[in-house]
Amino acid sequence: MARMRFLCDIERCIDCNGCVVACKEGNGVPVGINRRRVVTINEGRPGERSLSISCMHCSNAPCIAVCPVKAIYQREDGIVLVNKDICIGCGYCFIACPFGAPQFPKGDTFGKRGVMDKCTFCAGGPAPTFSEKERRLYGQNRIAEGKVPLCAAMCSTKALLAGDGDKISQIFQERVARRGTGAKAPGWSVAY
Amino acid sequence: MKFNLTSNHLRVLLYTVFLTAAGASALAANYIILNFGNISTTQAFKAFPFLVSPKWEAYANDFIPFVHAIPGMVWPILVFIPLIFLIHFFAIGPKNFSEDGERILFYGAFTRFFHWINAILFSLIVITGLMIVFSKALGGGGLIQNARLIHLSCAYAFIVTVIPLFLVWLKDMIPMPHDVKWFLILGGYLSKKATTVPAGKFNAGQKIWFWLATVGGAVMFYTGFYLSDITSRPQSELFSLLKIHIILGLFILALFITHLYMSLFAVKGSLKSMISGFKGKEEVKCLHSKMKI
Ligand code: SF4
Ligand code: SF4
Repeated sequence: MARMRFLCDIERCIDCNGCVVACKEGNGVPVGINRRRVVTINEGRPGERSLSISCMHCSNAPCIAVCPVKAIYQREDGIVLVNKDICIGCGYCFIACPFGAPQFPKGDTFGKRGVMDKCTFCAGGPAPTFSEKERRLYGQNRIAEGKVPLCAAMCSTKALLAGDGDKISQIFQERVARRGTGAKAPGWSVAY
Repeated sequence: MKFNLTSNHLRVLLYTVFLTAAGASALAANYIILNFGNISTTQAFKAFPFLVSPKWEAYANDFIPFVHAIPGMVWPILVFIPLIFLIHFFAIGPKNFSEDGERILFYGAFTRFFHWINAILFSLIVITGLMIVFSKALGGGGLIQNARLIHLSCAYAFIVTVIPLFLVWLKDMIPMPHDVKWFLILGGYLSKKATTVPAGKFNAGQKIWFWLATVGGAVMFYTGFYLSDITSRPQSELFSLLKIHIILGLFILALFITHLYMSLFAVKGSLKSMISGFKGKEEVKCLHSKMKI
């Protein structure tokens, strides 16, 4: 079975934040929660590079290992999802995650954290596929519709690739060979 | 030879100036472009993790086993300390003092009022804290979410209402040399006889409980505050805060159980004295022998 992966080509990313907006709008993510964000190094200086980052859907994911109530699980295709009916909002996954991916909405009472929210690879959640509950809690299920995640679909420079890990690494390697630069993509050595 | 500046010469000069300028700007442009690209892709990749979760490699390997060890640290305290007290209750038994005779006002109305407010808040914090620790067994989800909400709200209330009690009791809670002697005989709780134990208004055990609940409570509040606002600190610091919160919590839990046992079972009439404010003179003379009455 195909192993779903993200890859951000930092020689192409132009820090337009289109992926961030697409994700937020398309999945109805509340203000203050960023399932995906763009980080930049050397901003305004020589060597400026940007990286669009979200949950990397790690193999052997630290968040799954740490979750005290086993609310996080991994699908056969590698997509890591959270069950919001079980999550207690303890925040341990945020501390364990190498990418700062888990996000928490702030509640009204003393700013108490709600349940964890993170990138779903646009694969919805454990609620029945295409159900109202799935849409409300987890967002779109584009994978079940046969589409790639919103962020990668809209990326104007096609810096952000998502899909079958073998295919996207092949695309990336072809690019690298053509450019004659670069090696592995950011995060891959940690995530996979 | 006479040098004539012809138009030919002028042309050569202009060309030279132009070519030099063009060459120089081309070199400059080349320099700028090269310098904008002079960070290798690999170098860039290595720079990103510091923006995302600094020092992840350093703490993550310890963090996961620590989290899973928490319930294993807490349940022995919940089981063995009550067990010790159960044995004490049946082997040695509670202390009994006559309720007749002169009675001494031990706790004023103000003290009692704040004691009970704090008692309720503290118990709720301990119970909900235990629920969070044993969230797996309780099935997680909304129940624990609500427990966390109570844990947090009560902590905010407690940190305010503990202040009056702290100030009222502070002068009687300063450690004294006779506290060491109290410890050596474990407060006389190992003997069936009503021995006179060295203690002022509060004995050494009560003092430890006092400092753990007030100053310890403040540390719990501080660490818990930042843990509740998890994006306020880098993840590695959150782990250190969590360690403090849990380890100190273990001690507080142990003393909390001890306090329950002492006030509810080990000293007869202890609970009543915190309701009425009065203790029998015989008890005070015995258990708080150094108190001036
Ligand atoms: S990136 Fe973080 S949240 Fe996503 S699978 Fe890895 S550890 Fe879990
Ligand atoms: S916040 Fe939720 S998903 Fe994350 S570790 Fe805690 S219970 Fe698990």
